[in-house]
Amino acid sequence: MIGYTGRRLLLLFPVLLGVSLVVFGVMSLVPGDPALAILGPYATPERLAELRADLALDRPWPARFVIWLGNLVQGDLGRSVSLERPVLDAVLERLGPTLLLAGSALSIGTVLGLAAGMLAALRHNRSTDRMVSIGVLLGISIPSFWLGLLLILLFAVWLGWLPASGMTTVWADAVSPADVLRHLVLPVASLALVAAGVIARIGRGAAIDVLAAEHIVMCRARGITEHRIVLVHALKGVAARMMPVIGLQTGFLIGGAVYIETIFQWPGLGRLLVDAIAARDLLLVQGGVLVLATAYVLVNLAADLLQHALDRRIRPA
Amino acid sequence: MRWIGGFARHERGPVKRVAESNGKRESAGSDPSVSDSPFSDAGALRALLRHPGARAGLVLLSLVLLPALAAPWLPLADPTLTEPARRMLPPLSTGHLLGTDQLGRDLLSRLIWGARSSIAVGLSATALAALIGILVGLLAGWLGRAADALLMRGIDVLMAFPYLLLALAIVAALGPGLANAMLAIAVANVPFFARAVRGAVLDIRHRDYIAAARLCGHGELAIVRHEVLPNLAPTVLLLMTTTLGWMILETAGLSFLGLGAQPPQADLGSMLGEGRELLTTYPRVAVLPGVVILVMVVGINLLGDALRDAIDPGHRSIGPAPRASRRTDDVEPRQDDGGSTGVESVADTDTDSRRQLLRVRALGVAFPTASGYADAVEGVSFDLGRGERVALVGESGSGKTLTALALLRLLPEQADLQGRVGFDGRSLTALDARGMRALRGRRIAYVPQEPLTALDPLFRVGAQLDEAILAHAPSADPRPRGDKLIEAVGLAGVPVLRRRFPHELSGGQRQRVAIAMALAHDPDLLIADEATTALDVTVQQEILTLLQRLCEDGGRSLLFVTHDLALAARLCRRVLVMYAGRIVEDAPLQRLLIRPAHPYTHALIACSPELGRPDKPLAAVAGQPPAPGALRQGCRFAPRCPRVQPICREREPALAAVGAAGAVDAGTDHVSPRPVCVPARHRVRCLFPMEDA
Repeated sequence: MIGYTGRRLLLLFPVLLGVSLVVFGVMSLVPGDPALAILGPYATPERLAELRADLALDRPWPARFVIWLGNLVQGDLGRSVSLERPVLDAVLERLGPTLLLAGSALSIGTVLGLAAGMLAALRHNRSTDRMVSIGVLLGISIPSFWLGLLLILLFAVWLGWLPASGMTTVWADAVSPADVLRHLVLPVASLALVAAGVIARIGRGAAIDVLAAEHIVMCRARGITEHRIVLVHALKGVAARMMPVIGLQTGFLIGGAVYIETIFQWPGLGRLLVDAIAARDLLLVQGGVLVLATAYVLVNLAADLLQHALDRRIRPA
Repeated sequence: MRWIGGFARHERGPVKRVAESNGKRESAGSDPSVSDSPFSDAGALRALLRHPGARAGLVLLSLVLLPALAAPWLPLADPTLTEPARRMLPPLSTGHLLGTDQLGRDLLSRLIWGARSSIAVGLSATALAALIGILVGLLAGWLGRAADALLMRGIDVLMAFPYLLLALAIVAALGPGLANAMLAIAVANVPFFARAVRGAVLDIRHRDYIAAARLCGHGELAIVRHEVLPNLAPTVLLLMTTTLGWMILETAGLSFLGLGAQPPQADLGSMLGEGRELLTTYPRVAVLPGVVILVMVVGINLLGDALRDAIDPGHRSIGPAPRASRRTDDVEPRQDDGGSTGVESVADTDTDSRRQLLRVRALGVAFPTASGYADAVEGVSFDLGRGERVALVGESGSGKTLTALALLRLLPEQADLQGRVGFDGRSLTALDARGMRALRGRRIAYVPQEPLTALDPLFRVGAQLDEAILAHAPSADPRPRGDKLIEAVGLAGVPVLRRRFPHELSGGQRQRVAIAMALAHDPDLLIADEATTALDVTVQQEILTLLQRLCEDGGRSLLFVTHDLALAARLCRRVLVMYAGRIVEDAPLQRLLIRPAHPYTHALIACSPELGRPDKPLAAVAGQPPAPGALRQGCRFAPRCPRVQPICREREPALAAVGAAGAVDAGTDHVSPRPVCVPARHRVRCLFPMEDA
């Protein structure tokens, strides 16, 4: 276990290095003068010169990357032009609400998806299975931003049960957890339903495989109850197989959170990114993408470790 | 490609893991599409069109696609013509079927034109992603080594990004606009194509026809063009179909965020984005574009699933309609009319049957196929006495394991079970699922062939042993009993062993654990299904000795299923020989070895290697056993039988006592009256038994 964790942690560094290289590379796609692009057309020549020196624009790109990486390691992601504050502060402030949103959606989507997938596998080729398949088809075909709008229309506009927006901050003392919860319901539902669709789809296949495995038949031969076989043996097998899928699903949830935070005015990193892109605040975009990508890499690490805890036969790739 | 992408990625994920741990090529086995191109076959296309999902998908897709394609020729209002005076007209207004939007533009016209640009952008993104993906995958797969390692690490890094985020970063750098959004979505999807293409290329490059082309002196480029690229078509086409819906969703998403189509240009996503402002007052402006996207993407995904089913049947999303699908657990087996087939009651209580622990009558197992049920086991009848050890011997595929599983009613769901099984005066085949469960593991225990697959790989040995004990003794502390069992099967170091996972044990240890679990409730009948086959010879002997001791000590009955007559001889006094789903001979061991009555048994004995006789050539039974379900007439062994007579091909012999006058009378399973000269209970299913052999 320790050996596996250690090796898996070591793999983390090249991936994170690659991720920062890609983020750095994408930002150098900016046409024209990067300093002008970052500061905008109204920047003073002095500020422009200062930024050009900061970014080492006169040096070749490998040198620029090393300088940028050095600053990154020290937590210096530059200064946001639109917010007029350090990028890292702005990004970390918004990370919490996004993690809360995506985390809740992931948990609910996983539970729903695994339950539906297992149910479909147990009722293989019967009406329950077909209903799950139709639900899955809708889940993977529906635009999550449209689903969010429909939920607002139904529960906020017509029924008036839940708020559609208005959450400005999640952690302040003035905000009660109950209020946060009420604001969370609709965005989490929009994300979770979609995630559940994918997890159910792959989970169904995994459950069909696991339920057909010989050790399940042998459990029956030992007289173990069907309940126990499904809820203990099959479920653990399916969960172990689904761990990487669930890890990947986080990546899609983070993407979906960009839409959902925009629609529900949720004070998260996704909305910050969209605002930053609109304001052409490139350093803020860079920082936001980097932090979300790192979070995603860490979630996948956790998923792999969890899978190894469930199934000790797994060895690192 | 958020969801579908995850799907495609993840179906390959586990394969990759296994392949890499074995040091084999990635996904070589997961791309059946590579081997036979279904597109060469018009029949496959017709099959696709018969697929109900494909039909529904086509209908839904045409609903959107046809008007979008015909948009320039349809009598539609100009989708960009603003007419503030006529803003927010309700549906069915004159000249505006669906009404107008906030600027007085015709909604229907905008939907159709918007769908047109959404489809165009989605298609372009898919094509671009496929193109770059093919290039990268081809380079990586074909060049191999350093190029492969470098390109794939790059792909891995791209995949380390949350999917939409990479697209967002690209749009942020390049600036908003439909073309940039298309480019961003395409780049974000390149990894999926590159990986799939690389896997397919790796598979193709080791094929014989590539080597042949090389030998013929064709250049690398020519080989890639003529041999590799055409074979990539199924993989790429499938991936394009399954990702197209996704790309349409994502480009619409970027437009929704205001990063794609810029006014006055409009696609469905930007219409949704603009409509969002009016959600509370005029919901239809935002709702309708979403409906169009949904209909279109559902259609595409249905088509993609159907295509996947056609190309890669292993991934069938929905199987064919179940044929009398029923769990063998829930439903009583089909009961034959006892009179006509000579099936006597198995639950009767006369004194003779009291001596018998297990009575099997006309047991049959059939599996549904495209052309009706195929019999895998047919008319199997035998008795097994208390304390008796009987071997069930036959080639693989002869139906012995199915017979063993059928006794416990553990057959796969789709199997059809016939006949009757009586156990200790009760009919097993009439028991409900609950009653059957109560017997399994308690009165009848099963020792499987391959203990590695028979134990749950995710649970420690101790937990599984405890579970087996708790299954029928829920209140007791299972540990003392478990420890005793572990010792009884000759395993040492109980505390350490308990904490081991099955894969951490040797084959012999695993089999001992499986036997310990089978003994948990002191069963009356032990069914050992090839219990020693997976073990090496010395361990095999130990396990045989263990089984023998356990049966002798407890007075247990044993049904020993094996393909090895020599093993059967070690353990059993009576042998049932199975061939092609039927019992062909039933005889005491000595009698069977010395005077086999069935030509198949004779051949089987001749096949056994003899120690110390390397000069003796190892015989083999010529030919192959018939496939289950093959149209049969006459004796099953006739095609391979050295003593075959013309009548053997026409009349099916019954299992009848050797030397009995009625042996040639086909049609019943009755044991014919036993003549004095023949040893007890020697039955054979042959019209011309080898009495003088």
